[in-house]
Amino acid sequence: MKIKSLLASLALVTVSAFAPYAIASGGPEVKFVGPSASSTDLESLQRGARLFVNYCVNCHSAQYMRYNRLTDLKLTEDQIKQNLMFTTDKIGDTMKAAISVNDAKEWFGALPPDLSVMARSYSAAAISGSSGDPAETLAAYLRGFYQDDSRDTGWNNIVSPNIGMPHALHELSGTNKLVETVFAADGKEIKDDHAAEAKARGAFIAATTMSSFEHHSEVKDGKTVNHYVVKSLVNATPGSMTPAQFDTAIADLVNFMSYVAEPHKAKRIQIGILMMFLLAFLLATSVWLKKEYWKDVH
Amino acid sequence: MAGTPSNHPSMFKNPVLNWVNDRFPLTALIKTSATDYYAPKNFNFWYYFGSLALLVLVLQIVTGIFLTMNYKPDAAYAFGSVEYIMRDVDYGWLIRYMHSTGASMFFVVVYLHMCRGLMYGSYRQPRELTWIFGMLIYLCLMAEAFFGYLLPWGQMSFWGAQVIVNIFSAIPFIGPELAVWIRGDYSIGDATLNRFFAFHVIALPLVLLGLVAAHLIALHETGSNNPDGVEINKGPKGNRWSKDAPADGIPFHPYYTVKDIFGVVVFLMIFTAIVFFLPEMGGYFLEYNNFVPADPLKTPAHIAPVWYFTPYYSILRAVPPMFGSQFPGVIGMGLSVMIFFALPWLDRGAVKSIRYRGNLYKAFFAMFIVCFIVLGYLGVKPTSVWGQFGDWAKFLDTRDIATWGARLLTIGYFAFFFLMPWYTKADKTKPEPARVTMH
Repeated sequence: MKIKSLLASLALVTVSAFAPYAIASGGPEVKFVGPSASSTDLESLQRGARLFVNYCVNCHSAQYMRYNRLTDLKLTEDQIKQNLMFTTDKIGDTMKAAISVNDAKEWFGALPPDLSVMARSYSAAAISGSSGDPAETLAAYLRGFYQDDSRDTGWNNIVSPNIGMPHALHELSGTNKLVETVFAADGKEIKDDHAAEAKARGAFIAATTMSSFEHHSEVKDGKTVNHYVVKSLVNATPGSMTPAQFDTAIADLVNFMSYVAEPHKAKRIQIGILMMFLLAFLLATSVWLKKEYWKDVH
Repeated sequence: MAGTPSNHPSMFKNPVLNWVNDRFPLTALIKTSATDYYAPKNFNFWYYFGSLALLVLVLQIVTGIFLTMNYKPDAAYAFGSVEYIMRDVDYGWLIRYMHSTGASMFFVVVYLHMCRGLMYGSYRQPRELTWIFGMLIYLCLMAEAFFGYLLPWGQMSFWGAQVIVNIFSAIPFIGPELAVWIRGDYSIGDATLNRFFAFHVIALPLVLLGLVAAHLIALHETGSNNPDGVEINKGPKGNRWSKDAPADGIPFHPYYTVKDIFGVVVFLMIFTAIVFFLPEMGGYFLEYNNFVPADPLKTPAHIAPVWYFTPYYSILRAVPPMFGSQFPGVIGMGLSVMIFFALPWLDRGAVKSIRYRGNLYKAFFAMFIVCFIVLGYLGVKPTSVWGQFGDWAKFLDTRDIATWGARLLTIGYFAFFFLMPWYTKADKTKPEPARVTMH
């Protein structure tokens, strides 16, 4: 019995050792609160599919995803052919990009990445209050574009700075501009680094639009100088959707991309629940069996 | 049959069984390894993990066979063939998730199995060889996991293998050539993938099975240890089944087979919950970055090995380079694994089980477990995870607090082993009971 309590206290010690350091450091930290869509919401998935083939498949492939698999979303093969297939007429084909590899390399400098499993792998910034789930980061990224004339494409992104991708959905969202506030110790209003960080944190938390928090430090004359930067997106010109509508559209799109990344997910969870019931029954049986056999061991 | 010795088993009603027994010791084998194999009656929770390790081994072999039917060990097709298995092969996703979850669960089970050995002194005389075979299984398993992790050909597969193979290039004089020899190329490539595949599916499983057999044969020769650490063979004789058998022993079958079935069901509930509800386990069993195809031109910002290697990886990172060489870190890491082999000879305690050890041993043991877990945690994270020391720390080789933490923990890790001959001897132990106790 003593060992149990020893192990329990060990577990406590180790857990509390990690707790204060749970927030990842390095890179920007992004605040993003958006709607999310349920993976069982077929209408959301269908809307997401429409956005995906209209805006993404122009340049990106999803080379492991077959069109006829979309029958999972309660679409008939005819509906898929007529509404969702622009780059091929064979229903068993995979989703290939409309542009050629050479064009893509010339326009973007690199081949746009395949999107088959993007929703399982995307990583860029740390999202405040998120577990680092790739789909959540992806949603933040897709909303994080702003105008930046210093870039070749004319676009930049708050989540993934200096990315080569332009804002493909700008006709829906309209354009955003970046507002940047730098907090650094000046010895007067902001006494020290601690105060600067606290002020920046406050501004970051108070921001009502999508924002990021960055910490830059450099060594000048043997002393470390810290800057805390809060970047926020501000709408400049409206698009065909209201901001709320656009947020829902992104939720649908990411919902669909999560489906594409793991089309069997719904089935997996279904079978899993069945398996758990089966095992619960086996558990009861095995407990009874063990008790029955061990009656005579003292 | 005239002339048949009385203990010869060709006396069953079933003629087929008699026919077999005259040619192969089937009944005798079942007797010596199950029905007449007497195990101490006081096994507790910690004794489930041996049979569970065997279960996971079988799961890995069976799912592995089905995976190889559709997997292509070719740098151009490997990533795609895994996605093909996940999407187009019937229940391919299930087979793949079982295999990937099985890999991590193998280590969970083996670490708990080893922890049991540490707590109850199972490695000590007369079970030194069982422990050594077990350690060889563990090494083999690490190699198996390392080779297998390259096969999906994702970013983490590629860069993880790159980092591990580069460890060998830190060996003085022969290092760089050795690394090229292992890879079969100047960087991880198609040749590497092919040979790792061969090791993963043929070479190591064969060795593993042989070692498991040796581990069990050695165990059955000495009999099992138990949570009290006292030998049932040295206690009184005679139980309900045999007058020569130890009084505190019960036949492995049916007692421990039914008990282990219960353990198997509980394990399968956890295993199933992961496979069906959390196959990525938050990025620890299947790393997010490994869903990105391997790209030799794009180094990921943060390369961390899979969780089960991270305590050793932390030690590798913690040891500072000396004379411009990373070799000391490599030695530290190698030693941290190999030192387990020496345990039977480092421990000089009067008792085997932690139940009767004194506070000195318990303190060192607790420290070791904390070091192992926190080193494992730090190995997953970048060294900046605990922040930096301020400007006062200019004279240090690194200001990362986590690196200094890992250095301290590494010292703690090794202190458990190197000081063991001293503290086990100096420990104020309690008297062992004459016979096993039931809790």
